[in-house]
Amino acid sequence: MGFLSPWFLAGLAAVGLPLWIHLLKKHKTDPRFFPSLMLFEKRETSSVKHRRLDHILLFILRTAMIVLLALLFANPFINRTVAPGQGNHMTLVAVDNSFSMRAGNKLQQAKDEAQSVLNGVKPGTKVQVIALGSQVQTLTQPTSDLSEARAAVNSIQPSDGRSSYGELARYTRTLAESVKTPIEMDLVSDLQKTSMPPGFADLRLDQSTTLVTHQIGQPSANYTVENVVAPRRVYDPKHVRLQAVIAGFDAPGAKKTVTLLLNGKSLQTKTVDVPENGRAQVEFLGLDAPYGFSRGEVKIDSSDALAADDHFLFAVERTDPRKVLFVDDGRKPLGQLYFRVALDASPDAAFSMEANHPEQAAGQQLSHFAMVVLNDLGSMPPGFEDSLKKYVSGGGSVLIALGPASAAMPRVPVLDESIQASSYAGREGERFFTVSEIDTGHPVMRSVERFDGVKFYQAIKVTPAKSKVLARLNDGTPLVLERQIGEGKVLVFASTFDKLANDLPLHAAWVPFVQQSAAYLGGGGPEQPVNLAVDSYVELRSGDAKGSAAEVLGPDGKRLLTLEEAANAKNFAVRSEGFFELKAASGRQSLIAAHADRRESDLAVIPKETLDLWKATGESDQNAGGGQGSGDQSDRKPWGLWPILLLLLLLVALAESVVANGYLRPQVEEEKTKRKAA
Amino acid sequence: MLQRFLDPTVLAGISGLDLVAKTVVDGFIAGLHRSPDFGFSQEFAEYRAYNPGDDLRHVDWNVYARTERAYLKRYRGETNSQLTILLDASRSMKFGSHGVEKLEYARFLAASLAYMASTQRDAAGLIVFDDEVRNYILPSSRQGQLMRVMHAIENAQIGTRTNYAHPFHTLQEFLRRRGIVVLISDFWENPETVIKTVEPLRYHGCELILFHLLDPEEIHPKLRHPVLMEDLETGEAMEVSPDYTSHEYRQKIESHIENLKTRSRAAGIDYFLIDTSRPLDEALREYLAIRKGKM
Repeated sequence: MGFLSPWFLAGLAAVGLPLWIHLLKKHKTDPRFFPSLMLFEKRETSSVKHRRLDHILLFILRTAMIVLLALLFANPFINRTVAPGQGNHMTLVAVDNSFSMRAGNKLQQAKDEAQSVLNGVKPGTKVQVIALGSQVQTLTQPTSDLSEARAAVNSIQPSDGRSSYGELARYTRTLAESVKTPIEMDLVSDLQKTSMPPGFADLRLDQSTTLVTHQIGQPSANYTVENVVAPRRVYDPKHVRLQAVIAGFDAPGAKKTVTLLLNGKSLQTKTVDVPENGRAQVEFLGLDAPYGFSRGEVKIDSSDALAADDHFLFAVERTDPRKVLFVDDGRKPLGQLYFRVALDASPDAAFSMEANHPEQAAGQQLSHFAMVVLNDLGSMPPGFEDSLKKYVSGGGSVLIALGPASAAMPRVPVLDESIQASSYAGREGERFFTVSEIDTGHPVMRSVERFDGVKFYQAIKVTPAKSKVLARLNDGTPLVLERQIGEGKVLVFASTFDKLANDLPLHAAWVPFVQQSAAYLGGGGPEQPVNLAVDSYVELRSGDAKGSAAEVLGPDGKRLLTLEEAANAKNFAVRSEGFFELKAASGRQSLIAAHADRRESDLAVIPKETLDLWKATGESDQNAGGGQGSGDQSDRKPWGLWPILLLLLLLVALAESVVANGYLRPQVEEEKTKRKAA
Repeated sequence: MLQRFLDPTVLAGISGLDLVAKTVVDGFIAGLHRSPDFGFSQEFAEYRAYNPGDDLRHVDWNVYARTERAYLKRYRGETNSQLTILLDASRSMKFGSHGVEKLEYARFLAASLAYMASTQRDAAGLIVFDDEVRNYILPSSRQGQLMRVMHAIENAQIGTRTNYAHPFHTLQEFLRRRGIVVLISDFWENPETVIKTVEPLRYHGCELILFHLLDPEEIHPKLRHPVLMEDLETGEAMEVSPDYTSHEYRQKIESHIENLKTRSRAAGIDYFLIDTSRPLDEALREYLAIRKGKM
């Protein structure tokens, strides 16, 4: 017997309360005054003694109430020995169908093993079958029908997901809470080490769960194409550089032939020496891709067990450099010069800049431009702002620089935020502003080194009512603001692009700032990476966009979204390897290449000690209360005594009420008699 | 006829003692149709033919003028009779179980008697005592005497314990004139001692009336549990059980009252028991009715 909260036993000290009430307090009797005692006589027997005897039962009941209450809070329990298999229990068969189970015929072996587990289940015992990929897939509800369970095991298909034992443990904990019976979990898996969660606590099993592992296959050497780095867009095929990483897990050093394929056509082949349990990098120069989207693949010649990871998919898009419309009234030629130089400095030459006067720009078809830059305009030609707004709502982007000319305007065009004033700092005596706050996580601010050393002499104060502030000067003036309007974005730089209001163009932060801004804005929406791991999510629409439908075509060319998902879904989960054609709600099309998580390529098995520890997590819970460590711990279950104590407490409380009422009743009746007499 | 008696607790709410007395006395006198035969004063009795040697002061000259015969006017009692109220202010008189203490009730009673005497132009006096004489106002029928008596009654304070022997010995020095002596007390003393102490007043020709005031709780104590009783005068404490009070005590108090009554009658003293829960005017009316029967 033990107590889960023994410190509550201190409450037993409260027994002194009824003791004081019944034995000590009664000695204090207030005398009652009477005119004369000449007619009274002294008695031999004290009536106080009689009263003390009368209240003994009440005293015992009250003391018992306090003792029971203290015991109830202390939560006592006794350990009861339960024979294995005694009583109802449920068998949970978890079959691993993750990517690593594609090695050889592991999945078939796993299914056979699961069938043999089911054969050993006694008739009438409840069984549930689940498949373990990146998520737990429930194939049956708890059922006594073994044929249904066998059919479920047969229906298990290989997946490209990554198994997670943490997810499995969480599922069993939830299940144990709902079924309230002991669970025997039969895990049929290759017991990959990489499937373990980062924290061991995530593996904790419920005390009623017993883990039985069935290992499928043995660890073996495996080579894989671990990663491919390729540009998302190809503007000049000759200047493309593509890198691939070849890794060997538990494998000896070997020479591997690496082939680059594009649209099924072999472009280049290289040979690389992969060190033992190491990695080697291969670089391909030039990618002769046709205009539009191309499906790329890097593969190695390997004869290991897991052939599915011997290739790596990637997607590229061949396109012409995107045009940037730079709107400038010509009074600040330096700003235009600095911006153009920074934009042209990009190695992939993704953008080409076209400078226009505002009146000239108003007549342009804006949809032909990847982005529009407004360089400190003092006024806008009629209708130009409306055109810009329409352009942004449709997915276009605008970068606005504010300067002395903009300060005269009541608000920032397109952004629609009011301009308060102009912040000035004198050049004399080193008086200038610096950047004090910056959102370094934002794509535009990633490599600008926090604008260190950049001096700002003038900035336009804009009140950010609807916009997000990405950077702020030390006097609190917002320096960089961003606002999402429809499918497009507006970025505001509250100073000029020349070196008059600041010396940013003279610093190293200028080029990355311009290029990142152009890449962020000119991309026309969230940039999808060149390839994704299975179980990643891709964005179909931003928060505001509604109405227009998104579309996803799977590797087999079939539509993957239902009509409702096409109209409303914001994200799409990639569940298998292959190429996915994606048309976002904004109308922008892209090609996504998905590959299995390469952690699945490491076939190393969980050490036995770790497995034993995992199995013991449920048992450790059992032992925590009783503090016993005998050999048959798994068969000893703590059995709480609180229901019995609670029942006893209720009975005692009832008895106390009845007894106490018995003492009070004569007084009440006396009062009634007195009232009647009156 | 219906008589609306005055609850002692109502009387206790009236601030002035003179107003209390007036309320009580006027009320029950109105109820008695102003009978001339009631009261403590000299009352007309009959005419008697004049005999030589009779005091000429008692000749009714009006009758002589009409009839030319001399008649003497005879009265019941003496002329210029005086009423002396002896008020017990011992500590036991502080007891009260229903809102009115015995001393308060005794004040109402004394004030009512004094007011009655005053309305009949009799001299009224007051002696307040416990184990000593605490206050003494000589009987007088002068103007303002009633107010003095009322004031003294109002100011009667609770004293210590009762001791009849010492104050009554002193009183005999004052009460040399014949008259009516009213003793208001709870008589928590041996009846024999009480009667022996007050009896000598009779030898001076005084008419003695004992008003025995008892609280209902003194006559029928009601206890739910055994309690510790403390004597108000002596401070002695004793544990008393409900069983004793409901049987033995009741017999003893009845015996005590009966003893007092019997010994009073034997000594030619009027005795009247008043339960302080009773309306005062009702008690007075009953007492005067009894006196009328005696006269």
